[in-house]
Amino acid sequence: MGEERALTGLRVLDLANNIAGSYCGKLLADFGAEVIKVEPPKEGNPLRKKAPFFKDEQDKEKSGMFFYLNTNKKSLTLDITKQEGAEVFKKLVKNSDVVIEDFEPGKMKEWGLSYDELKKENPKLIMTSITWFGQDGPYKDFKANNFTAYGIGGAMYVMRPTRWPDTRPAVLGGYQAEYTAGLIAYIATMAAVVSPKEEGTWIDLSVMEAVTSTLTGIMADYSYLGLSRRTLPWAIHGFPTQENYPCKDGYVNLTPGIGGTQAIADLIGKPEERENPLLVKAGARVKEPEKFEALILPWLKEHTKWEITEKAQKLRLAFAPILSPGELPDDPQIKAREFFVKVEHPEMKEVTYPGAPAKLSESPWKEGRAPLLGEHTQEILNSAGLSEKDIKELQEKGIV
Amino acid sequence: MAYKILEGIRVVDLTTVYAGPMGTRMLADLGAEIIKIESPKRPDLFTRMTAYPDNEPPEKENWNAGGYFHLLNAGKLGISLDLSTEKGKEIFKKLVKISDIVMETFSPRVMDNLGLGYEELKKIKPDIIMVSMSGLGHYGPLRDYYMYMTGMEGMSGLTYITGHPDQPPLLSNYAYGDWMLGVTGAAAALTALYYRKKTGKGQYIDVAGREAIVIHIGDVIMDYTLNGRVKERSGNANPEMAPHECYRCKGEDSWINIAVENEEQWQALCKLMGKEELKDDPRFSTMEARVKNRDELNKIIEEWTSQHDHLELMEKLQKEGIPAGAVLSMKEVHLNPHLIQRGFFEVIDHGKDVGKRPIGKQMPAKFVGLESYTPSRAPRFAEHNEYVFCELLGMSKEELKKLEEEKVIGTVPRFPPGRPTRLDLIEKQAGKGAGYVDPNYLEELRKVFGEDIAKK
Repeated sequence: MGEERALTGLRVLDLANNIAGSYCGKLLADFGAEVIKVEPPKEGNPLRKKAPFFKDEQDKEKSGMFFYLNTNKKSLTLDITKQEGAEVFKKLVKNSDVVIEDFEPGKMKEWGLSYDELKKENPKLIMTSITWFGQDGPYKDFKANNFTAYGIGGAMYVMRPTRWPDTRPAVLGGYQAEYTAGLIAYIATMAAVVSPKEEGTWIDLSVMEAVTSTLTGIMADYSYLGLSRRTLPWAIHGFPTQENYPCKDGYVNLTPGIGGTQAIADLIGKPEERENPLLVKAGARVKEPEKFEALILPWLKEHTKWEITEKAQKLRLAFAPILSPGELPDDPQIKAREFFVKVEHPEMKEVTYPGAPAKLSESPWKEGRAPLLGEHTQEILNSAGLSEKDIKELQEKGIV
Repeated sequence: MAYKILEGIRVVDLTTVYAGPMGTRMLADLGAEIIKIESPKRPDLFTRMTAYPDNEPPEKENWNAGGYFHLLNAGKLGISLDLSTEKGKEIFKKLVKISDIVMETFSPRVMDNLGLGYEELKKIKPDIIMVSMSGLGHYGPLRDYYMYMTGMEGMSGLTYITGHPDQPPLLSNYAYGDWMLGVTGAAAALTALYYRKKTGKGQYIDVAGREAIVIHIGDVIMDYTLNGRVKERSGNANPEMAPHECYRCKGEDSWINIAVENEEQWQALCKLMGKEELKDDPRFSTMEARVKNRDELNKIIEEWTSQHDHLELMEKLQKEGIPAGAVLSMKEVHLNPHLIQRGFFEVIDHGKDVGKRPIGKQMPAKFVGLESYTPSRAPRFAEHNEYVFCELLGMSKEELKKLEEEKVIGTVPRFPPGRPTRLDLIEKQAGKGAGYVDPNYLEELRKVFGEDIAKK
């Protein structure tokens, strides 16, 4: 590495088994921190068993999920659930700034690795604990995963199309509850790292609360109006703002923005419709959405999402194409910004994945690959002052 | 003594509406000093006029009462300044000189056109960190596209994979894309602070909301880049888990998410349902079989869930170790015992016309052992002019008055008459209603957060 990146000099021990904690560690690693993924010996981190796999081959070195969430990290195998392993871990803590963990509340304490214990090794230590519901409270021991946490966090209830508000709610795609928590964990961790007070702290983040915190304004809907929305209210956001409609090759989003709905008449090549009440008055559209749809759908069906978007954008309409994951690599903006990056991996050959979350002019984000299981064990244990003999002993006992 | 982690970090906040203010609110929750700048000609309109307390726009100063504004801007200081005037620019530069971070969400070009781009600001304060947040980024062929949260989500791939197969792709409906943009901006700012601490160097940061969202579906993208497979929207179905569905419960519009991860949980579920015969039914005896026959399985489970209250059912399922989460409405979120006991909501007093209201945290992480810090209420328009212009920048009260006369600053923004939210239309939308209005919400909130809630 050599070069100075944003977080070069920061050392992190990443014990995370799930997406949120691993993603927090990934962000730290990609911005330059030395992040050591501490994995159980033999089978390794549980994310190594998660799809997608390279060529669908279920192999611990071929999980795209593990790869993506562990780029730029180092891998150490260490069984921290055994006393000798825990002792080695404490040695590593002495020279580290941050520990990330996502075990059930109380587990770290059981292994003698509670924050109070670790703080004895390093008074300035920041420990970031991510659990589904936090370290205390009535749901502390509840079981959860991305799907159930998203529901109880309050986000799911509003996930219904505006045209069919009484249908079954649908979860936001992928693992958004977990990624959300990971990003918040990163911010909390970095705040503690850059804090002018320079004190150690234990961060307790709950995935449920992470989800709820993203709901912002719609929380005020209840505490100011008594409103619990179950979809998007047209009376607040307008119609067709936020609607996705079918076109020739997929779907397009119709958000008029500053162009105004009357510009839709120009878009569909019917300038004579500019004064049509359906385009002039929000109330008319809301009252009879199907009439508005009848006006615009035939034209949409004859044009592609990019044709519609390009023409609409010229009219200052904020329309946008609904792009599939497969269309992203060809998107001209993505290309021009070199957003996707490509790295070599010993088992997966060439891997392409989404790159920098932000472009930093002086200390750029950098691509990298995920480590092989235990790839850096020797190097890390040596740096902790363990002799070859110590390491061999630990190996024989299955600790590393 | 309340503990402010980012005490002493000063942020000049030019952001408006939703995305940027969420990011700076997060930094405010962490104790940074956020100075929110609004133009008297163009105040932060949408949030200032949305969700008036108890749906009654106050006769006076209706720009100070919007619930959305209160939530998004708690803990910040507010000043007015017209950056299109020469004097406004001059004062802005003085403020930058004593600040650490500038955050903005204007369209690309605006700051440069104002003569306040990064290169200019750097001359005044060499180690300034400037964060520009936009929909598609500050360079590239599509940088000037008009973008809102809709476009950012729609163009990220996230919308494409969200929703039921027989319905159009579904946006987040709660401005997740905006949250992503603002919060990624805050994350980047802290990253740059660490670099500055080490090297003394500031920098320019370009955040594109669409890209920030793509990063949160990285694993889905990798299925495409590794295997050429494009994920299609599949409602709540999971390729590796069944049951994995949102099931209807007893009562109107009441739901529970259940996701069974392994055989142990599946067997516990069969027992709880009183349908132990399902364990040996070849359609459901393995995870693979259940995934394949999920439609049949879901029907059986929903027959059972629809006879139960969603909150009671969650407790029962959890007792047996089965991951289940009641799908909470906003009312239920506010009354949720877990969130309340954890202190997720903070009661903030907004003073006249509004009273005390529970306000959700934007930085939900707790710092164990440190005295928690509750942000002050959102600022009234231009409330902190005197503090910022006189105390921080050393201007005299006479100068302040003159600036007011010259309309560089002002205490009265250009603002339309306040209007109530059309709750009647919301309740009728699409025939079924876009939401429920609880007439007793203040009483409900008082039971939980104290009798003095919303006493104006």
